[in-house]
Formats: sequence, structure tokens, C-alpha cells
Amino acid sequence: PTMEERKACWGARDEFWQCLDRHGDDAAKCEKLRRAFESRCPQQWVKHFDKRRDFLKYKKKLETEGFHPYETAGKS
Amino acid sequence: PQLPLRHRLAVTAAVTFTVAAGWLYLRHQKEQQQQQRHLRHLRSLSLGQGDFQLQDTSGRTRSKADFLGSWVLLYFGFTHCPDVCPEQLERLSRALELLEAQPGLPPVQPVFVTVDPQRDDMAALRRYLRDFHPRFLGLTGSPGQVREVAARFRVYVSAGPPDSDGDYVVDHSVLTFLLDPDGMFRDCYGSARTAEELARSVRGHM
Repeated sequence: PTMEERKACWGARDEFWQCLDRHGDDAAKCEKLRRAFESRCPQQWVKHFDKRRDFLKYKKKLETEGFHPYETAGKS
Repeated sequence: PQLPLRHRLAVTAAVTFTVAAGWLYLRHQKEQQQQQRHLRHLRSLSLGQGDFQLQDTSGRTRSKADFLGSWVLLYFGFTHCPDVCPEQLERLSRALELLEAQPGLPPVQPVFVTVDPQRDDMAALRRYLRDFHPRFLGLTGSPGQVREVAARFRVYVSAGPPDSDGDYVVDHSVLTFLLDPDGMFRDCYGSARTAEELARSVRGHM
């Protein structure tokens, strides 16, 4: 993708993420922006950014709540 | 007779300040030593030693010898990269601008080596690098040639599985390498450093 296409993709991603932030990650409330995001970005990038979002949320959780290794379900 | 409260507070503050300053200084020294040790270790690995053969965006073959005599900032990436590579190239371009603004410094040659030679041919690199610093040199080659150069710099490269339209991302170490005019590795910069830090570090090495 060219620089313009990249910026359009990043913009759509940011709008989608801002919507998720406003609605407590309720993806159902951000359908339209999700579709815009998927149309402006290559499939591989959508997957990459979805993973990145999960990572950023996890990181934030660690920073605010701390790391509790023994609370992970299913681990003996 | 005891000193008045005011004096005791002043003495306490002075002692605290001295201890804090001393502690900060020692911590800074320790960080410097760790950094130097890290760099010595990297240099002992002879990062980037040995020759390589790649093609630039005008089709010319380039080898190590072509870069001798010049400081080089080298980044490994690919044009289909979602965000990291454009950010790192922006940072590199910005660091170069900062260095160019300083009189008396030798010029630095920015180089981009693709880790995705399958898709990143000369034309693709030309198009991609247009958006960054004008002196950026793009290098590609056969998968074997690229693999060899990446290995010399201990750069991890791993292409992911392609999706339904054949697109894939290439997972790779995000590092910018500084080479001196003798072709020797001097330093490497991860994604967290800012353009200002890069420029300052390069200047320090010069």
C-alpha cells in the first residue's frame, strides 16, 4: 500500500478503536466503523491490528491491575 | 546546645540531596557500563562482518565495499509492513534531518534492506522509499542473498502464513544498525528510541 493508503487504513483503525473505547469494547456498537476499517486495510493488517489491540489491552491491564499469575484459569 | 530547627532542616536537606545526587550518579554510571558491555558483546559477535551482495533500486549490484567511507544507518523491513516499518523509517528520516542540520558532521547513508524479496523488487522499493528520506537506498536480492545478510546481522526473519489472497506479514527484528566508515558495526537501535536519541547517539559515535 502507498503512504496515502496506509494513512487511510490507520485512520479507519483509530476511529474503530476510539469507538470501542467509548463503548467498553462492545464490538456490536461499532459495526459500521469495523466494516470501514476492514475495507480500508489489507486482511493481514486487520489481523495484525486486532492482535495489537488485544496486546495493548493486556498491557494496560497489567499496568493498572498488576500481574497475578496464579489467577489464570486452568493452570495447576 | 542543639542547633535551631531551621539549621537542622537545612543540614538534613543538604545530606539528602547529596545522597540522592550520589545515587543518581552511580546509577547512571552503572547504566553506561551495562550499555558499553552490551555493545562490546555485540561487536565481539562481528555483526555485519563479511561481504554481501544485493541489488539496489536501479539494478546495480552492491556489496560491502560500496559503503566503505560512509556512516550507514541500516534498517531491515518489508513494504507490506502494517505499521512498524513506516514508523521506523520516519524515525530514521527524522534523525537524519537532525544530523544534517548540524554543521561539520559527515553525511549518513540510510539503507533499507527488504526481508521480503519475493514481493519487494526494485520497483516496489522505489515506490515505498519515495515517502521517506530522499537519500534512502533500497536493497533487495534473491531469497538466499537476503537471508545471508540478515543472518550476518543476527536479524530474525519469519514469513507468516499467507491468507486467502496470498498476502502475508513477515515477522522480523526491529533494529536500526549503525555502521562506521570502515564498515564496522557500532551500535543498534530498537524501536523504543526516539529520533532525537538516535541522532545524539550517532553524533556521539562520530
